[in-house]
Amino acid sequence: MLSDLRYRLRAFFRRNHVERDLDEELRFHLERQKDKYVARGLSATEATRRVRLDFGTTDSIKDQCRDAWGIRALDETRRNVRYASRTLAKRPGFATVAVVTLGLGIGANSAVFSALNAVVLRPLPFPDAHQLLSIEQYEPDAARPLWRTYVAPARLEDWQRMASAFQGITGSYLDDLTETSGEFPERISRAWVAPRFFEVCGVAPVIGRIFTRAEERFGGPPAVIVSERLWRRRFGSDGNIRTRALRIGQRLVPIVGVMPATFAFRDASVDVWSPSPPDAPYAQNRQATWFTTIGRLRRGVTIAQGLDDLNRVQARLGQQYPATDAKLAVRVTPLKTATLGSVPQSLWMLFAAVSLLLLVACTNIASLLLARNAERRREISIRYSLGASRASVVRQLLTEAFILALIGSALGIAIAVAGFEAFRTLGAELPRMTEVRLDWTLVLYSLTCAIATSILFGLVPATRTARSFAGGANSRRRTETIATNRLQWTLVGIQVALSVTLLFGAGLLIRSFDRLMHVSLGFDPSRVMTFRMTGNWGETIDIAALKRRVVATLEALRATPGIAAAASSMAVPGAPFQFDTELRIVEAPTESNQKITARNRIVSSSYFDALRIPLIAGTDCATDAPERTALVNRAFEGLYFAGRTAIGSHVQEITSGPVAASGTIIGVVGDAREQGLNEPSAATIYWCNSAPNPTPLFLVRTHSENLAGIGDTIRRRVHEIEPGRAVYELVPLEQRLADTLTENRLRTVLLGSFAVTAIALAAIGLYGTLSYIVSIRRREIGLRIAMGALRRTTVMLFLRQGLAVTAVGCAAGLWLSVAMAQGLTGMLYGVTSLDASTFVTVLVLVIAIGALASIWPAVRAARVDPIQVLREE
Amino acid sequence: MSDERLDLPQGTLDLLILRTLAPGPLHGWAISERIQQVSRDLLQVPQGSLYPALHRLERRGWISPQWGISDNNRRAKYYALTRKGQKQLAAETHSWRKLTGAVGLILDMD
Repeated sequence: MLSDLRYRLRAFFRRNHVERDLDEELRFHLERQKDKYVARGLSATEATRRVRLDFGTTDSIKDQCRDAWGIRALDETRRNVRYASRTLAKRPGFATVAVVTLGLGIGANSAVFSALNAVVLRPLPFPDAHQLLSIEQYEPDAARPLWRTYVAPARLEDWQRMASAFQGITGSYLDDLTETSGEFPERISRAWVAPRFFEVCGVAPVIGRIFTRAEERFGGPPAVIVSERLWRRRFGSDGNIRTRALRIGQRLVPIVGVMPATFAFRDASVDVWSPSPPDAPYAQNRQATWFTTIGRLRRGVTIAQGLDDLNRVQARLGQQYPATDAKLAVRVTPLKTATLGSVPQSLWMLFAAVSLLLLVACTNIASLLLARNAERRREISIRYSLGASRASVVRQLLTEAFILALIGSALGIAIAVAGFEAFRTLGAELPRMTEVRLDWTLVLYSLTCAIATSILFGLVPATRTARSFAGGANSRRRTETIATNRLQWTLVGIQVALSVTLLFGAGLLIRSFDRLMHVSLGFDPSRVMTFRMTGNWGETIDIAALKRRVVATLEALRATPGIAAAASSMAVPGAPFQFDTELRIVEAPTESNQKITARNRIVSSSYFDALRIPLIAGTDCATDAPERTALVNRAFEGLYFAGRTAIGSHVQEITSGPVAASGTIIGVVGDAREQGLNEPSAATIYWCNSAPNPTPLFLVRTHSENLAGIGDTIRRRVHEIEPGRAVYELVPLEQRLADTLTENRLRTVLLGSFAVTAIALAAIGLYGTLSYIVSIRRREIGLRIAMGALRRTTVMLFLRQGLAVTAVGCAAGLWLSVAMAQGLTGMLYGVTSLDASTFVTVLVLVIAIGALASIWPAVRAARVDPIQVLREE
Repeated sequence: MSDERLDLPQGTLDLLILRTLAPGPLHGWAISERIQQVSRDLLQVPQGSLYPALHRLERRGWISPQWGISDNNRRAKYYALTRKGQKQLAAETHSWRKLTGAVGLILDMD
């Protein structure tokens, strides 16, 4: 088998050599034969004649030998390719249109496929990434605040010790370091990691080593691991990094390793990893909520088994520590699912859309090819009369299609690479976007696309053209033309239908995005600058000092010219932040068993002022709130106080947690969409506290529009009062709100551009087909006009034809849209997936485009000069 | 003489070539001469099919070519039986014998 292949390859690639050998071999034979005849007494001429007679023509023998080499198919392909290239080069216009159309189709498809592949299909960049689970604790019956899913170090170690389904369980939390060597302090993100962190991730440092068991223990030798980025920036890629140390505060901590640039867990921003010793005295509280937890399953253990195991372990812990552990349960999510969120759904949707686009492109080229092949009747019939088989004509035509597709896919790869830029720009906030890049998968995929599409758009025209000649009967020419036309119109109709589907989807997304942009927020994000200041969790040991620090910063900002109001908050207003709790109203009659749940926000004084949320009754938080106070929004008051005022009532959080928040309601404010643009405001309670954590979000309302200017002012002012702290994430609030819509914007923009491309292709298809039909019916039109047909009638004749196809395409498209729109549910806001006005808009648009594409060929038909046509005959 | 010549049954040319090469390498012309000689001129290799057959056998790896100098001092392409070719020859000889034997039995029945 292998030697056979080697033989064929040699015959194909060393063709000249092999042919020479064959010549020589045959010549030798002929000479020997001639010698033999001469020896028998024949004259030289007679001998030559006899030899010829015996042997036949050398050409046919050579042909049979070439057959024996098994390269006939290769030979034919080579001939076909050469011929097809020449034919295409002769019609550069057609070739260009086809290549560009395919390039767009394949390019867009490959770009989306690459994103899908990099983000969704490929495993996370860890060895055996499927074994990694995100692990959360939760209270099955409680409203859930975000951080209660974080796990206490003591419990994490219990899980690690008792759960047998896991190779290891570990966790991390993020904190700030401040780097003070530059003009302004700079924030460095540090991850505190539980023991076994790097083992569980399965990623080794590029230089040095991971932490030793001793370093992971309290009081052990100090050690940090740094990122490749920090290693480059701060240590100039020093190969001897292990002799260096990182200055943290007053201490020099030895660097033991450098993590590769590809290691972006939990966050691409992390530059320093430090061990968080579970045996430290401050880490013993089982109600601490520290670690974002991950675990690596043992080989062969399913996710369900892992979950069962953890819940069994947790039930045992519940018996052992009833106060803190009894109410907790565990849930797990594959780490990839947890990392990606809703992105896969968007990408699959886009991939489906872009595949429809590719289908439109294929159909478009199929109809172009049909028209062109019809023009090549003469050439093809000559081939037939020279004895070409139908199969060989089909192969010839397919080769042309394939060459187009191949060049198209090369162009497509270039377009896809450009498309990555669009992805990175539009999707900068989305997970794993940096992993989208040019690789072999993309090239292979594009080539596969080329082969599949060339079969798709080449086969029908090729077999159709070949068949129309197979009988060799020119008498059937007219009916065949009509049949070809019908096929062409069907192809145009398909393009229209697919474009309508895409336009409808895009229309829904655009309308829904528009609704989102015009939603009434209940707060005013314009002229608000936001930032954070480096802080660290160590500061929570002295809450009072932390609070003093934040309040002093706020006061300093408020005293700065240009600043109208300054406040701090636990969360970004208008961005998702899950923090719901169940509350009890102390004054409520005990028999009332209404369950009171509310969203929580923790804010400083002036928060409502800075965001222009109206204070409806009562007072704002005091600057240095001495006692526990809170405000509620109107929805809260309306829902739980039914007409009475909420002011003066006392609320208490119902929780099994360590500290139950409680306080007096001192004011009522307007409803705001705190949770995100697409989330209607709900009952919300605002607890007064300037410093809920070491790095609250600062919100600064300015007098001027110039937010960049105020950014500088803020940096300078903070540097004056807190020279050891860095300002980071200095971003206008409107920018943050826009960032929350990244995924939404990405899919809207992309689906929109696919739809526009599709309808443009369909319009070109319609125009091209109608033009072609006009051109082959010139004689008939000329006759009609000569017989007195009105030009207007002629225009209408063709216009009607174009519009009829468009209408049929629209009907089919609507039907298809209804089926496809299901895929968009969950991505829509404020419109249903069967939105009637979107339907109508799309229909009007498509019919208008259909009319536009038909009018020019129709008018050209009416301008046919009968005399000239008759003269042409 | 020519009236007595036989047409080669389909597929026997390969067998004849292989058998002819069994004693040692030969070039194309010699193969056809040898077949003619040994069959006492009863069999004549159709000149047109000899070379395609040789190339086909070469592709299958049953014979391998080697350029050499012929007895009249010219470059000629010699073919030798390969190990695979020997096996093939044995197998084909066996099945040919069986076939002719069986055909003989049918013809001889009374």
